[in-house]
Amino acid sequence: MILPSLLAFAPLLSPSVEPARLVPSESGPFVIKARRVEIGNGEVMEHAVMLIQDGRIVTMGQDLPIERGLPVVELGEDQVVMPGIVDPYSRYGMSGGGFNDSRPNIMASEELYPSTRYDAFLENGITTVAQYPAGTGIPGQAVAIRPLYGSKDSMVLSDGVYLKVVMSNSAGNKRNLRQGFDKADEHLKKVEEEREKFEKKNSKSKKKKKDDDDKKKSSSKKKEKFVAPTPDPKVQPFFDLREGELSALFSIGSAAAYEHLIDAIDDEEFEWGLRIPLRRDIDVFHVKDKVGERGVYTVMEPLLTLQPGTMRQRNLPAEFERAGAKLVLLPRSDRPSGFESFLVDVGVMIGAGLDRAAAVRGVTQHPADMLGLGDEVGTLEEGKRANLLVLSGDPFQPGTKIEAVLLDGEFVIGDIDQ
Amino acid sequence: MKAFNLSIAGRTRAGLAFLLIAFVGAPALGSPAALGAVTPFDDDDATEESTDDEEEEQWLALVGGDVHLGTGGVLRGATVLTHEGKIAEVGYDVFVPEEAEVVDVAGMRVYPGLIAVGSFGLFGGSGNLRDSVDPYSRNMTLALAAGITTAVNGNTVAKLKRGHLEGLVLKDSAFENFSFSNRNPQGQLKVVSDFEKAAEYLRQYRAWEQAVKRDKELKAPSKKGIDDRTVRVLTGEIRPRFSANDRTDLAEIAALARRFGFRPILEGATEGWTVADELGRAGATAIVTPRRRSSASERQTSDNGSSIENAAKLHAHGVPVVVVPASRGIVLGGIVGQDLLHLPIEAGFAIRGGLPEQAALESITIEAARVLGVGHRIGSIEVGKDADLIVTDGDLLHYQTFVQWAIVDGEIVYDKQEEMFFAHIRPRPDSALAPEEKVDAGEEDAADPQSDEGDAGDEGDSGDEEAGDGDGSGDEPEPEPDGGDGDGL
Repeated sequence: MILPSLLAFAPLLSPSVEPARLVPSESGPFVIKARRVEIGNGEVMEHAVMLIQDGRIVTMGQDLPIERGLPVVELGEDQVVMPGIVDPYSRYGMSGGGFNDSRPNIMASEELYPSTRYDAFLENGITTVAQYPAGTGIPGQAVAIRPLYGSKDSMVLSDGVYLKVVMSNSAGNKRNLRQGFDKADEHLKKVEEEREKFEKKNSKSKKKKKDDDDKKKSSSKKKEKFVAPTPDPKVQPFFDLREGELSALFSIGSAAAYEHLIDAIDDEEFEWGLRIPLRRDIDVFHVKDKVGERGVYTVMEPLLTLQPGTMRQRNLPAEFERAGAKLVLLPRSDRPSGFESFLVDVGVMIGAGLDRAAAVRGVTQHPADMLGLGDEVGTLEEGKRANLLVLSGDPFQPGTKIEAVLLDGEFVIGDIDQ
Repeated sequence: MKAFNLSIAGRTRAGLAFLLIAFVGAPALGSPAALGAVTPFDDDDATEESTDDEEEEQWLALVGGDVHLGTGGVLRGATVLTHEGKIAEVGYDVFVPEEAEVVDVAGMRVYPGLIAVGSFGLFGGSGNLRDSVDPYSRNMTLALAAGITTAVNGNTVAKLKRGHLEGLVLKDSAFENFSFSNRNPQGQLKVVSDFEKAAEYLRQYRAWEQAVKRDKELKAPSKKGIDDRTVRVLTGEIRPRFSANDRTDLAEIAALARRFGFRPILEGATEGWTVADELGRAGATAIVTPRRRSSASERQTSDNGSSIENAAKLHAHGVPVVVVPASRGIVLGGIVGQDLLHLPIEAGFAIRGGLPEQAALESITIEAARVLGVGHRIGSIEVGKDADLIVTDGDLLHYQTFVQWAIVDGEIVYDKQEEMFFAHIRPRPDSALAPEEKVDAGEEDAADPQSDEGDAGDEGDSGDEEAGDGDGSGDEPEPEPDGGDGDGL
């Protein structure tokens, strides 16, 4: 519900907003008036008024009265505002290949190399990006960045947003994954053994103490605290998974890979999603209901595939979405040309039967939630970062242009007179 | 909570069963469960049901088909009921539980699932089957379309459990291969000496077994230099497989088998028909390819070369015959009809040479199961065996016949109308691909009021009749319940 009161501009920044790692830039308050705003969760707000201050949306509502003196950006009748696109799976701007083994402790942030190449994201409306480490086994953990050229610290939003794992129907991939958890179990066993040893030792020394004087009691007490041995850095991520501090993104290329994934992890409980790189004749539709039942994030391209062996088209993003999966959409190619046609590509999928609201969620809200940044970006709501796009029309219509991109309250692309 | 619910359900079921016993006359076909059930043809529905089945007990009933038991008998218009992957009941007046998935197979035939004693490329992946199988591979689906529900992959006996990773492997080691051929006399001597040593060892071992009862200090005979596989052959634990086609090789293997008392499996056996009596007396089983050709050598005076009667003659001399096609894969190029897709056709060629039809059916079901040592699990339709079944629209060994459904462990894993391969060829009348009469009927209905209104008389009526005729010629066997027929008349 929207407050009907006047917009007061000074200290309205909601205190409930958690301080992000990176503080959005400080800037004076201003107002955007838009005929039509895609919230990002699939809903649309007509005649929206947004107050933006210090890089965040302070207040947002329908037809709110605006206090005199506030700078106002009044958008045209046809212009549409939508949240900045979140691309949760990109290596654009990074270079080099990876290995085919298990290195879950590798952080993609370490190979982050700030450059102006990242402008390609902003130019095409992508305001949040997660970059993943290269490799075909368990190559490591992804990092979420804001793609504005600057120091590394100014770019990183959140590190370790997910653990990338490539799964296929091969014994090697399965073994890597199982071994990770098995080694975690081994470590726990070791800790338990150490603790027992320690306690035995302690009780012995206590007896001795009783026999002897009570003088040394105070000094020995300090030593009594048991310190668990630290796990191998390669094992730690598997503890993080179990404890919910890390999620996994499994890349699967076939229905068989999914079955083997479930076979490998079914007795473990942790957050995970699926990356399904669509190919023309991919057969993942066999497991769409099983995936849908779990309601996991499913990252795929807006691409029509073919029923294997036929020329019959299938809209797998729509099918998975209908089955219950949380759809996350991704540019068809991880290049500026892919970024450029992204929204139109999604539009094609809508034309082929994908629910429009699901498509909006798939490019903004769901990828943001998947990265654990749902409180910061992904939708246009009070308290969130003012990452938004001003489009010349409906986002998914061919011919629509991105006229301005606002990143943390600042126009980074285009400039609209205030 | 779940278990409690189930037990209640079980009790009510038992109660219903008693009720049904009271109405002895009521056939299973007439039960509401059988009538009301329609096979789910919609993709989504099918998966929904299967997920439900995972939670509940899994029942599947094939109702009204001619059930070819695979052991010789045929039950016409009978019901096969499966429960939790096993055959629970076969026969008439079978009580079908309410939660059972019911498939009306009236007019069709139910056979045990076929067994391919050699295959490659059906399970996708490579290496350990459990960790690399592709349970959705195209070739697996095609093999199911050919009626194959179990195949030997490498040396592993595995089921074609489409969509599953569990319960795939039936037996880890299908065959123990031995070589005994005139081309390698040294090898032959080695095999004979191995068998002699093993036989001697077993004699000593048995003597020791008796002696040790009296004197516990006695040491067991040494196993040094004894071939373990040979010992296992002699104790009857395994049956050795020999690859042999020449009559001399076959005869010598038979002689070896009779000397040492084991039952050989002879793969190939192209010239088996020339020494069939010897093979029969040796208790051999032959794995043959009826269409394999090898020309007779003119230098040999005795019978030799291939014969279309091979399988028939072997069978007549008491040699169980197992049939495999020339190619053990799914081959979509080259000469059609020589690969696993045509396993029943290959068996059909044995019939052409004189093999009884029953023996031909057994050659790709129960005899194949026996030769793999899994005859107690699969290969025939008997209560307690695995529910691996196929439903065909005609004689299995006829070239025109299609497999309509394949069932592995009580679950439908192949439905002809659901897969693109053969759905369009002679589609089932109840499928979406079948020639539809309802659409035409609707048009007629729509046209009718017009003709009534306009009172068009002769012209309108004749038009209707023409349309009606057109429909009738297309779909004679099924008159429409409430369509144009009435209007036409």
